[in-house]
Amino acid sequence: MRKTLASASLLALLSAGGAFAQECSDPVEITWSTIAGFYTDAMASFVKSFEDDNCAKVTVVNIDNSQLYNKQVIEMVGQTGAYDVVTLETAEKAEFAENGFILPMTDFFADKQDLLNDVSPTLRAMTVEYKGDVWGLPYYTYTAGMFIRQDLIDDPGEQAAFKAKYGYDLADPTTWEQHRDIAEFFTRKAGETLKGEVLTKDFYGVGLMAGPFPEIQDELSAPLWGMGSDWLTDEGTVPVADVEKVLGEYVEELKFAPPAALTVTYDGVMNQMKDCQIAMTHGFFLDQWPNAVKTEDNCPGAKVAAIEAPGKKAYVGGFLLAVSSSSANPEMAMKFVAHIGGYEIQKEFAELGGASTLTSVLTDPSFATPERRATNGQYATLNAIFASMSGFSSNLFKTPFGAKIYNTMQIPLQAAAAGQISVHDAAEQLAADVAKICGGPCPIAN
Amino acid sequence: MSAAPESAGLAGSPPPGKSGMSDRWFSIMLIVPAMLITLIFAILPLIQALDVTFRMGDLSRGKIGDYVGLTNYRVVFADNQFWQAGWVTLKFTVVAVGLEMILGVAIAFLLHGATFAKGITRSLLILPLATSAAVTGLFWRYLYDTQFGVLNWVLGLIGLPEPNWLGDYTIALWSVVLFDIWQWTPFVALIALAGLQALPKEPFEAAELDGASKWRVLTTLTFPLLKPVLFLVLVLRTIDCVRLYDAVAVLTRGGPGTSTETMTFYLYRTGLKLFRMDYASTMAVFFLYVMLVAAVFALTPLLKQFTDRAKEA
Repeated sequence: MRKTLASASLLALLSAGGAFAQECSDPVEITWSTIAGFYTDAMASFVKSFEDDNCAKVTVVNIDNSQLYNKQVIEMVGQTGAYDVVTLETAEKAEFAENGFILPMTDFFADKQDLLNDVSPTLRAMTVEYKGDVWGLPYYTYTAGMFIRQDLIDDPGEQAAFKAKYGYDLADPTTWEQHRDIAEFFTRKAGETLKGEVLTKDFYGVGLMAGPFPEIQDELSAPLWGMGSDWLTDEGTVPVADVEKVLGEYVEELKFAPPAALTVTYDGVMNQMKDCQIAMTHGFFLDQWPNAVKTEDNCPGAKVAAIEAPGKKAYVGGFLLAVSSSSANPEMAMKFVAHIGGYEIQKEFAELGGASTLTSVLTDPSFATPERRATNGQYATLNAIFASMSGFSSNLFKTPFGAKIYNTMQIPLQAAAAGQISVHDAAEQLAADVAKICGGPCPIAN
Repeated sequence: MSAAPESAGLAGSPPPGKSGMSDRWFSIMLIVPAMLITLIFAILPLIQALDVTFRMGDLSRGKIGDYVGLTNYRVVFADNQFWQAGWVTLKFTVVAVGLEMILGVAIAFLLHGATFAKGITRSLLILPLATSAAVTGLFWRYLYDTQFGVLNWVLGLIGLPEPNWLGDYTIALWSVVLFDIWQWTPFVALIALAGLQALPKEPFEAAELDGASKWRVLTTLTFPLLKPVLFLVLVLRTIDCVRLYDAVAVLTRGGPGTSTETMTFYLYRTGLKLFRMDYASTMAVFFLYVMLVAAVFALTPLLKQFTDRAKEA
């Protein structure tokens, strides 16, 4: 009897194994279009665990960030089914959702509310939700705060000089006026002193991303949102006076930035910081912390801190993983989204130095240790930013024209930064460009 | 005499209408593959583009929409940025092609008269052409870098001002021109050199016997004889410059602001960033029309010259 049972058990095991082997001999294939670089180099290794657990074959298509939007739109319009899972910038979500390029995942997440709720409400509102539906999960956040050379701020000699010049204490800036003062104060020529040391090269108060890239508007979002305004009013028009004000202040700050500011984006500013050229950034992507902190190795005595941007508002960005409506395997694609955006993978991603999107990971005490400072030292600030910005959402992310606006607005803004046109003309041109894109006032979803 | 072998050859081929095809059909068959490729990859897309110019074509809405008459043409012609991009393209083309022609011809003359290292110099001249502008543009972006670039480092060493090559809107376009000159002057030089080397010797020997000055030889013999070659290279370079995209995309992305935004870059931005295929197609068709008209005017004298020569021969 025992022998029979053992044989039966063995047969059952073998048949189960056979069934599993048979199932996995024909894996479900899905393709993920995403951004080439660190963001996905790390993710690619996590794909394997998903494949093993779900009998799936995931092809990761790495595309340069500047081409990702174009390529994805073309595939979506053609309904080619080339991509099952797409990667979207915050401003692109509404367009993809409105045009039926991606599938709502509200029902899919109905029994996964814990996971959804683990995404910070601020990040969720900006990157995941549109017209009451859930459209995927963010897997990486580049939410902005700012980086500052804390050693300069804390230096007694600099503090005394600052107070003498400006009449108030040198500290981390909490207003954009203070930010401007600090930028001006620390801008020095070679031969002058900084923290009592003679400078061998010019030193600048601030690093700015004023090159011909969309990051200029990410920077400007901070003061614009901080003053209670937005890129689009509730009526769907550009508030010209507000844009003119923040752009004017930004152009003024360019005097305190390295000349390369007019050609660089975030990597250029990080190079400036690591090259001991700048005292701080403007509103800046905190996912760059592992880069920024290297300044401490390169510049003697440097201490870098990630802090909230003045006004406690800054660009909230995240790469949203969404499922293409032309996917041949939408269920598997949705599982994949939940897998990459889920706790296990997000924690592993964080261990590699990635900027996780989950509150449970960002608040995990194991990432708050001194040993983890070099890779995860910005997490506390990220949490503070999400808390400060709770309840905030930008109309730029609520219009189906958001992606096009986002891809256009850098041009007048950068033209003003470079001095090609006046600040007023730039604000007017932005308003005209936006009206042209939307065919009048832009529709804003509630 | 010369016709005899050809006739003999033809006599050996099957007569038309029997076991083979006529020469006419044979020649048609030879060009059919090329015509098919042209039809599929050039004519049909052109017809499609023409059709889109009369429709609403916001691709991000998912499809090409209804016919809207001449609206797209009205919108494009009223678009200041379109004309601005045209002006940038014109400035770039005139300056870049002009300088490339002058420098290229000068280098060709120097090489033609060189007595040593001619071969290696010719080989070195090919190097800038051997890599695409997208790749070499990246190198130039680093050369132009205000902080880490070699150009400013050298200028700093000799005490000269260090310009913001790609960040200053007043000089950014000329920085792109400089890059284009670096890459394409060798092309002009090599073609001009080939032209110089192919010139008949007899007229020059006769001129020397007659005691003609070098200037007179240059103006009455060399340049007139070299004209067809130079004209051809001028046309080729002009066409290439007018459709400039890669160097701008890599070096400046059209910036600062719109100071280096050429027609093709603006077209790309309209079509593949804003997905307004209607406006982009309208610009492309207008662009093609202008180029065709210019090409007809430019090429007619050249073709006439070739025809006359063929007749004389």
